[in-house]
Amino acid sequence: MFSERVAPTAQGLLGPPSAEPPTFPRVPVLGYSDCSGPFRPGERSFGRQYAHVYAVRLAGMRPTLERRARGRWGNDAVLRKLSELQVGEKCCVVGTLFKAMQLQPSILQEISEEHNLVPQPPLPKYIQPSDELILEDELQRIKLEGAIDVQRLVTGTIVAVYGSEQDDGRFLVEDHCFADLPPPLPWNGPTSDRFVLLTSGLGLGSGSGEALLSTQLLVDVVTGQLGAEGEQSCAAHISRVILAGNLLSQNTQSRDTINKAKYLTKKTQAASVEAVKMLDEILLQLCTSVPVDVMPGEFDPTNYTLPQQPLHRCMLPLASPYATLHLVTNPYQANLDGVRFLGTSGQNVSDIFKYSSMDDYLEILEWTLLAGHISPTAPDTLGCYPFYKSDPFILTECPHVYFCGNAPRFQSKLLQGAEGQRVLLVTVPDFSTTQTACLVNLRDLTCQPITFSGFGAEDEDGDMEVGH
Amino acid sequence: MADELYLENIDEFVTDQNRVVTYKWLSYTLGVHVNQAKQMLYDYVERKRKENSGAQLHVTYLVAGNLLQNGHVCHKVAVVREDKLEAMKSKLSTIASVHVYSIQKALLKDSSPLYNTDYDIVKTNLHNCSKFSAIHCDAAVPRMPPDIPRAQTSLQGSSQRENDTGAPSAPAVNGHGPLAAKHPSQQHKGIMGMFAAKAASKPQDTNKETKAEASGVSTASSKPPTKNNIINNFFGKAAMNKLKVNPVPEQPKEEKEVVKPSVAVAEPESSPNPVVEKPGKRTESARIQQKDRKSRTKHVDRSDNEEERDPENAKRKRKRIKQLQSDSSDEEADVPPPPTPEEEKAPSPPPVPALKTELEPATMEVSAGGRKRKRKRVLKSKMFIDEEEGCMVTEKVYESESCTDSEEEFPKPKPPAAHKQPVLPMKKEPKEERKTLKKGAAPANRANKQVSIMGFFHKK
Repeated sequence: MFSERVAPTAQGLLGPPSAEPPTFPRVPVLGYSDCSGPFRPGERSFGRQYAHVYAVRLAGMRPTLERRARGRWGNDAVLRKLSELQVGEKCCVVGTLFKAMQLQPSILQEISEEHNLVPQPPLPKYIQPSDELILEDELQRIKLEGAIDVQRLVTGTIVAVYGSEQDDGRFLVEDHCFADLPPPLPWNGPTSDRFVLLTSGLGLGSGSGEALLSTQLLVDVVTGQLGAEGEQSCAAHISRVILAGNLLSQNTQSRDTINKAKYLTKKTQAASVEAVKMLDEILLQLCTSVPVDVMPGEFDPTNYTLPQQPLHRCMLPLASPYATLHLVTNPYQANLDGVRFLGTSGQNVSDIFKYSSMDDYLEILEWTLLAGHISPTAPDTLGCYPFYKSDPFILTECPHVYFCGNAPRFQSKLLQGAEGQRVLLVTVPDFSTTQTACLVNLRDLTCQPITFSGFGAEDEDGDMEVGH
Repeated sequence: MADELYLENIDEFVTDQNRVVTYKWLSYTLGVHVNQAKQMLYDYVERKRKENSGAQLHVTYLVAGNLLQNGHVCHKVAVVREDKLEAMKSKLSTIASVHVYSIQKALLKDSSPLYNTDYDIVKTNLHNCSKFSAIHCDAAVPRMPPDIPRAQTSLQGSSQRENDTGAPSAPAVNGHGPLAAKHPSQQHKGIMGMFAAKAASKPQDTNKETKAEASGVSTASSKPPTKNNIINNFFGKAAMNKLKVNPVPEQPKEEKEVVKPSVAVAEPESSPNPVVEKPGKRTESARIQQKDRKSRTKHVDRSDNEEERDPENAKRKRKRIKQLQSDSSDEEADVPPPPTPEEEKAPSPPPVPALKTELEPATMEVSAGGRKRKRKRVLKSKMFIDEEEGCMVTEKVYESESCTDSEEEFPKPKPPAAHKQPVLPMKKEPKEERKTLKKGAAPANRANKQVSIMGFFHKK
């Protein structure tokens, strides 16, 4: 990517000063349009129940699933609603999955006095062998068993099952299918090399200085200060930087001030204040050189429920005058230079990780794409806005780049669909722990990780990926 | 030679000042392109080592290149010490760039000094941090300031307090002290932006005021006072109390409007008002607090004056001017109102009970203290308003005191016997004595008060 072309000039700066060092212009933005409109709710009334979300989700995805079901099990497959089921008849039903999990934290159980339960500590995974799957549609529900992987699936997925009802009232599943990849988008990508830098989990305000040098190196590479001329000219082809969430560290979330007495906490200020100031400076350095999209994450000062709204520009007084700063929602969808990007800050994937047996973030990411929904577990275990008109998380078009932030490590995969879809799946690693960011080449949808490191008191080991 | 000048500069930085000289720091300090800075550093290292092979120079390099890792080709960018340079280069499959990162005299244990140096120099050059960079972006243009102050003003108000509390806290790794310096300058911009925004609406408000008050003075004087009020918001009540003197026409509006303090929102219609409301609110709260204590501070007196002034809408201008000059008399007037009724009662019934004699000294001291202040006011305008002993007596007393002061000796104050002798002259004497006592003390006190008050005035 970088190196082959620039190797000859690598050592160019090891010499006496030359007369006029070149300055490279940043590649101009070919085309940018923000498609995150559905993620910005116009009105915000929380007076509705969450049942409407499932109703619109099922209504929105039913046509797609019925089409898929017919394609898979034949055009003459019988499509039935749960209320029309007859015992023993092979038919196909479309509905929402519900997984009854014993370990799932339930607030009602916790505060129930008759149970006298101690609140459950957070576990990495809440799955158990005794979990059960139940299919629900608009009116009824039925227990599922058979050729369906209970551990792997999560609540909220819209699925079409093919089988028959048994005498005991359960549905024996012979086959099932999801919405599969959405229809493809036309490709208008650039013909020359253009890069988008994806990074997440900067983790400012954590109190540890190790990742700070790496963050500074990242900014320097992107703004063209670091590196020899060849590398700088390559860096000039970075047309955009996307910060996918968790700009602040989890340490800034401490809520001791609520529990402590007022006289102890009177003069303290929240840790997030300092962290946001640092973020502002970093964004200023980036914004003077490259367009930046800032997505909020789990620990950032914005709302908790999905879709998270953009950070307010009043928090970033130094950087907000620049037109190159874009404060965007989480999830985020946009057309960058003709390539459709869709991504989240990782809350959807990590939530599925907790309630499913799938361990690999890339696998989960791919599965959400195949299930046709960005975040099926919302609103069950992941907070979301009570939509009632339409569910904006349903995937209607297949993006070209689909990413999730704050993954434990970098992974990428190019997925080819049956209808000509080409999707680059990227799990963007958490920068504060891995010091790794991702460079996506828009021309050929390839992705390369880029790692930064300083040197510490101890010598470097063989493990090169994690810097000091 | 200009070319060699940089060598001397670097030499000075590294050896004399014992700095960690990174390429970025050198680029900002000498005002050169970053690549030139890197080359300068390399040149310096080479020459220094040629001259003096035992030179105490430690160099860190930046190495970037491709690395095969976990099945994919990873691009690695690393800052390494000189001794690890070759090892790192051998690990990389292809090398994209190598250049000098920094030079320093001492061996670095870890890379935090490098980070700190870069952080500090970027902090001081935030407004043009991409000036010497190798990449220039045309799209990165700041938007025009008028779009920004609205958002900034709300930030300034809240961030000011946070700055004050945040300045003493020192994070572990980085010094965020300089950050506070940046914010006040931004706040001043914000303040000026606020002021600019208000200047537009000020004519409207001043027009309203001219209609209501027909005071041309206020239009001219409202701008500087409100400006001062804006800035003095952050300085304290004392300054504002003084400035409150001027924008009096706004006061009745304020007093009616001030219900809740609203700092952040600056609406165009009432834009001067929230700002002036704030000082109004502060002085009001000061009033409420201090009035309870009944302390004899100038704040109380002044606020009492303002309260007394407020109901009398007609004579505001005159009072303003008078208050400036007759501040001490105003103060005198303030404290006596509570003890005034007592004093009035005391002389009116000729039989003076013994208890009252004890009261009298207290009240008369107070009243004398008040009297001596009242005297001044009396001189100006309140001469005919009720005094403690009735106007005539006071006047006479006053006049006689001025002549008896030199004549009379000071008889001892009578023991508190239950003398119910309505002997006016007798009474007058102790009273006179006390008055003379007070009078003796009064001019001294007055002098003191005078000095202190005028001193207060001149200061502000």
